[in-house]
Amino acid sequence: MLTFFSDTDCDITPKECAEYGIKLISMPYTVNDKVIYPYVDWETFDAHAFYDMLRGGTIPTTSAMGEEFYEKLFEPEFAAGNDILYAHFSAATSNTFTIMHQVLDRLKEKYPGRKFFEVDSLGISALAYNVVMEVADMVKAGKTGEEIEAWAKEEVPHFSMHFFADDLKFFRRSGRVSGLAATMGGLIGIRPIIHLDDNGVMVSIGKETGRAKAIARLVNTVVEQGDKVKEHRVVIAHSDCPAIAEEAARQLKAKFGDDLNVLIQNVNPTIGSHCGPDGLGICFHAIHR
Amino acid sequence: MLQTITSTLYADMLRQGAASLYKDKTVVNDLNVFPIPDGDTGDNMYMTLKAGSAATAGKEGNVGETASAAAQGMLLGARGNSGVILSRIFAGLAKGLEGLEKADTAAFAHAMSTAVQEAYSAIPVPVEGTIITVLREAFEATLVDTTLEEYFENLLSEMQVSLDHTPEKLDVLRQAGVVDSGGAGLLCIFRGMNEALHGIVASEEAAPDTAPAAPALDLSKFAEDSTLEFGYCTEFLLRLTRAKTDIDNFDIAEFVAWLEANGESVVAFRDGTIVKVHVHTFSPGEILNHCQQYGEFLTLKIENMALQHHQESNRNNASFKRPKEKYGIVTVAAGAGLIEAFKQIGADVVIPGGQTMNPSTQDFVEAFEQINADNILVFPNNSNIKMAAEQAAGLYKKADVRVLPSSTIGEGYYGIASTDRDCDNVEEVISSVMEIMDSVATGMISHAIRDAEGDGVKVVEGDFVGYQGKSILSDSPCRKEAAEALLDKMGAAGRDVMLVFTGEDVPQQEAQALQGELTAKYPNLEIMFNNGTQPIYDYIFVLC
Repeated sequence: MLTFFSDTDCDITPKECAEYGIKLISMPYTVNDKVIYPYVDWETFDAHAFYDMLRGGTIPTTSAMGEEFYEKLFEPEFAAGNDILYAHFSAATSNTFTIMHQVLDRLKEKYPGRKFFEVDSLGISALAYNVVMEVADMVKAGKTGEEIEAWAKEEVPHFSMHFFADDLKFFRRSGRVSGLAATMGGLIGIRPIIHLDDNGVMVSIGKETGRAKAIARLVNTVVEQGDKVKEHRVVIAHSDCPAIAEEAARQLKAKFGDDLNVLIQNVNPTIGSHCGPDGLGICFHAIHR
Repeated sequence: MLQTITSTLYADMLRQGAASLYKDKTVVNDLNVFPIPDGDTGDNMYMTLKAGSAATAGKEGNVGETASAAAQGMLLGARGNSGVILSRIFAGLAKGLEGLEKADTAAFAHAMSTAVQEAYSAIPVPVEGTIITVLREAFEATLVDTTLEEYFENLLSEMQVSLDHTPEKLDVLRQAGVVDSGGAGLLCIFRGMNEALHGIVASEEAAPDTAPAAPALDLSKFAEDSTLEFGYCTEFLLRLTRAKTDIDNFDIAEFVAWLEANGESVVAFRDGTIVKVHVHTFSPGEILNHCQQYGEFLTLKIENMALQHHQESNRNNASFKRPKEKYGIVTVAAGAGLIEAFKQIGADVVIPGGQTMNPSTQDFVEAFEQINADNILVFPNNSNIKMAAEQAAGLYKKADVRVLPSSTIGEGYYGIASTDRDCDNVEEVISSVMEIMDSVATGMISHAIRDAEGDGVKVVEGDFVGYQGKSILSDSPCRKEAAEALLDKMGAAGRDVMLVFTGEDVPQQEAQALQGELTAKYPNLEIMFNNGTQPIYDYIFVLC
């Protein structure tokens, strides 16, 4: 049997997990020295309260998980004779996957017959969500781990996401975006446009003055670089700016038609701790990233 | 009949010059080419001259030394462009009088010629129809072969003639129906100097010390449980004495180096046998004990800086011995909200001031002293503050100080927010900041102090006036209407972002209503309102 894991950094919620049979790994964040596990320590994500806390100046931190964490997750599955499929957020954005692989190397020796299938979405939030949901569709359709890995190798590079952030202190603090000049920031209305590259690394690729232009740029990117856009989900993730997300959805539908499968969701708190409030990203199927 | 100007007389002439200007400084202020209440030429020139006059206190010796002391005082005390130019005029006079025991007509006229040269060289592109024209034309038209009294009488008449003709030379003056304010201020000063020649010397009250406007001390700011966070602002005049030191071999450089090693914000210079010291320290006693080795104190002032409101608003918490950074940023703004906004986007020191309260050269030097950085970038946010900033930059040696000529709050705000502190190449940083400053437009709303007509807009006294740079773009008895018309003319519809700083006189309700209306009117414009609480300007609109 194949056990399908994903994590909360992919914006996956218990609702999708129930529908698609996903085991949800809760990736924690720390507020004032208190470690909080999404959907464990609370049931529903109050995005507005969370991002308001960030607006107020409280900035959570995140850290890589320990070996024990992964042992407890994966060993019982192998012990029970199950194989594992894990579709996760970009390994390039966290050290946690190095630790995970150390654990897996040991478990593979202990359980030589068992298989671990891995899909790195090379993305976070909307991008990771989109890939995980494609994988979920395939699991539901009865595809094997091998087939899914082969699909991922071919298809993950076609899922593209661009986003803008409002307050750059979050990115500057975490140092996870390259090419981020100081010429930007929500306080003066100039926002960087950030792209997740082929390796799942966040790179600033330009800037737009004013939110209207920033939204238009993201929508135009979907038009210009999109490929078979309507055959896949278009995922809009936002950090507590629903009206702007609705506007982006409206513009996308105006370009592609009302039957475009657009989903709007909250950026999860762990990733949100790094990108801050009032950011917006769009993930779509592209010719190439 | 008076034949010569002695040291004492020169000091009296400065003092009476200041008194004369003080009497008429409101008239000079009101010679504002803009019909709004932000004219400040009279104040700036007065405070600058007053700093020069104060520097001559207790001066003995020859007229050259006294003139030099006055020039040094004015150099640091200069405020506003008119003040900076005035300081250069007096620096020119000092240059001409250098080495002279006393000055007769020919010597003073020679000093006037060096003053003209110095004033013209101080301005990169001299504009005729201003203070320098009044100085030069009067100098050129006045005969030298006379007594000093006659020379000054003639000089004054020629200054008046030249001043009356300034509107013919400068369109902005003609349109506004005023003569040049700097020239008028200069005439007031020379009138006073002439009075001193005739034995009229002002009492202290006739030229009160108005600069800087000292706020009332709030003793509750340092209470029983307070800890000393900012130290003491310590200022004194030290007379070097022969009993204590070898005056001829007194090493001022070594003296200053000791102060710098033991204090902060050191401004110290020697003038004859007097040493003027300004230092921030946690232990004023140690500073005083050290300095008393060389002489005795003439004046002494020590204040706990926690009580100094303007100082406090100036500094971040850890101004003492901050770790050295690549860049430090100094800017100028008025209004608690605006000052805070500037700090939020990265200004290290915000000097309280603006169009009606120009910081002096010394204010800038003290701001630089609070920063520990390789490069200091200065954003004056007003074209009338630029020269004092540049003068201070020229005096300061502990960092590479660059003045980025932001002429509006909007340019400064965007410029500072865009400063890439991680970039090692200062030229690159400056050029990208200049580029973004160029892309910003700033418009302001104030109220009219007189009827006027300019750029096709009829301004009615008491109305609200909207303007951008030197162009008046709107006028209305209703502030909101004046604001909306201004934004129309500035092309807000074609812009992407607008920052709004509301002034201290604007009710919150009105600002909210305006925000709602503008948001509906310009759906593609990202509008951000900030409570700037600035004086004079009810709204500052920054379009990008």
